[in-house]
Amino acid sequence: MIEIAVDEKACVSCSLCAEICPTDVFVWDEDEGVPKINRPGECFGCLSCSEICPPHCITHEGVELAESHYHDPYALRLASRLAADVSGRFNVPSDEASQNQAAADLGVRLRSVAEVFKRTLGGSLPAVGTMAGRTLARHLPRYREPKGLDEALVLAKQQFSPAWEFETTRNGDDLTINVDRCFVRETCEREGQEIGSEMCVLFYNYLAGYLGRMGKVRLRLMDADRGAKCCYSVKIYEK
Amino acid sequence: MKARVSTDWLSGCSGCHVAMVDLHEKLLGLVEEVDFVRVPVLMDEKDYPKADVGVVEGAVRSDHDRVALEKMRASVDKLIAFGSCAVYGGPSGLGWLHERDDVMAAVYDGGPTNAGGERPDADAPILEDSVVPIDEVVEVDAYLPGCPPHPYFIAAGLRAVLGVSDLQLTAMSVCADCDRKMLKNEGAELHRGEVTAEKDSLCFLSQGVVCLGSVSLNRCQAPCPHSGVACFGCAGPSVDLITEPHLDLRNLIGRRLNMLTGVSEEEVTRYFQEDAKTLYAYAVASPVIHGKPTVEIREWAGPKPAAQGGE
Ligand code: SF4
Ligand code: SF4
Ligand code: SF4
Ligand code: SF4
Ligand code: SF4
Repeated sequence: MIEIAVDEKACVSCSLCAEICPTDVFVWDEDEGVPKINRPGECFGCLSCSEICPPHCITHEGVELAESHYHDPYALRLASRLAADVSGRFNVPSDEASQNQAAADLGVRLRSVAEVFKRTLGGSLPAVGTMAGRTLARHLPRYREPKGLDEALVLAKQQFSPAWEFETTRNGDDLTINVDRCFVRETCEREGQEIGSEMCVLFYNYLAGYLGRMGKVRLRLMDADRGAKCCYSVKIYEK
Repeated sequence: MKARVSTDWLSGCSGCHVAMVDLHEKLLGLVEEVDFVRVPVLMDEKDYPKADVGVVEGAVRSDHDRVALEKMRASVDKLIAFGSCAVYGGPSGLGWLHERDDVMAAVYDGGPTNAGGERPDADAPILEDSVVPIDEVVEVDAYLPGCPPHPYFIAAGLRAVLGVSDLQLTAMSVCADCDRKMLKNEGAELHRGEVTAEKDSLCFLSQGVVCLGSVSLNRCQAPCPHSGVACFGCAGPSVDLITEPHLDLRNLIGRRLNMLTGVSEEEVTRYFQEDAKTLYAYAVASPVIHGKPTVEIREWAGPKPAAQGGE
């Protein structure tokens, strides 16, 4: 059973926990201005109450968390060296088997998204990929704007490793990207999809959009050689 | 056995060192004896003598900061990032929003006290391209945010790092120590830009005034709301906000304000974006904030294109 505890000293009497709980676990104590745990057996561990609680004074023991790969290791390390009671709050697996399982799960989703996009958008698939990449460029963490494409490429190598590992050669406005390791390729292989299908189209235009926006140029995919390893020819247009 | 403590001051305002010096007598009662082997504001020790604990104020902005920090790390067993600048960039981190050359130009070419355009000479430390929290450069063993950190929490933090006791720093927010009551107040309007509120026992949020208490880590015991001023988050974000990529200051305050008063969440999030430079001031340079997929802090708080009449 889940054990809920409310630190009444810290409670600011907002009653938001009682309001938000979908199973009416709390009953409001008007006199004391605090929630009382009335039906503990009804708690199913959604943690909505502790998320909304302004002082963060509601805790739950015995909630089983799903594996969460989305947590940033930097943030978790910072949090655990900042406060005493945070470690053990997360269920972030680091073993290789569950990492691979997560990658496989993600691959299935990527595949279905790509298929839906292909069916609904057809020929606009590359443009959608590029647009998504440009949007990503605004969100991926970086300490300062790369000064140009060369810096953007160096940064991207760090950011996408180990899911995507590549080498580039630049010759004037021609850029060649030799891919060593590619998450999408691995997904295609796992999912029995042809290399070069919609997932690849989406993803490589996505990267072109991303790199272009970061490097303040426009990149156009000219040709792709999808042999044992993929190799892309890209044209650089100064903006 | 004396615990040897060594401190250094990078790009910070000295407030953190003043807070530490203020603490001196309390520290003596805290551990048997603390032996300060290096404190830039108190003694003329230029080297980095071996110490048990290193305490670093300020962010890394110049080549000097980087070298000093690396020497400090090499000379101590445990390193504490002391104050919001060291932990998150803090106020010093606001420079992260701007290009180095623009910062130099703003200070040395156009500044009201130095419009002559004279730049510091070759002997002065050279600004790096950007400003970063200290854990971007060296490993940090404990983080003590606050601007500056509060004596109670300095003592608790030092105790823990010295192994005198287990870490007793909670993950609760400023609200946990605030005496105001956060009551429902349907119909209250959002007061943009205000930091005080009429009723002194009612929570600021209930009165439509943005208070960052619920999204800020409690490392201060809530002095600001107790003296009638809304919390502006000087100790940086609360733990949930640090660990959960989808949670952010603006959506959490938006939801709470909405549930308390009925002010729309969109109005609140818009306000946070428009005033991001103030409302996110203490952690803009931290991966915690700029790494969130839902936050575009550079666009909200960075230099606005001239065409729009911005900075
Ligand atoms: S975790 Fe969910 S179900 Fe349990 S008390 Fe909180 S809101 Fe209710
Ligand atoms: S949400 Fe937290 S502060 Fe508000 S009433 Fe519930 S326990 Fe108290
Ligand atoms: S954290 Fe605050 S007090 Fe400490 S150096 Fe930075 S600005 Fe100054
Ligand atoms: S939001 Fe501010 S005023 Fe309200 S309880 Fe929290 S710290 Fe106090
Ligand atoms: S109440 Fe807020 S602004 Fe005031 S000291 Fe605490 S964290 Fe800083």
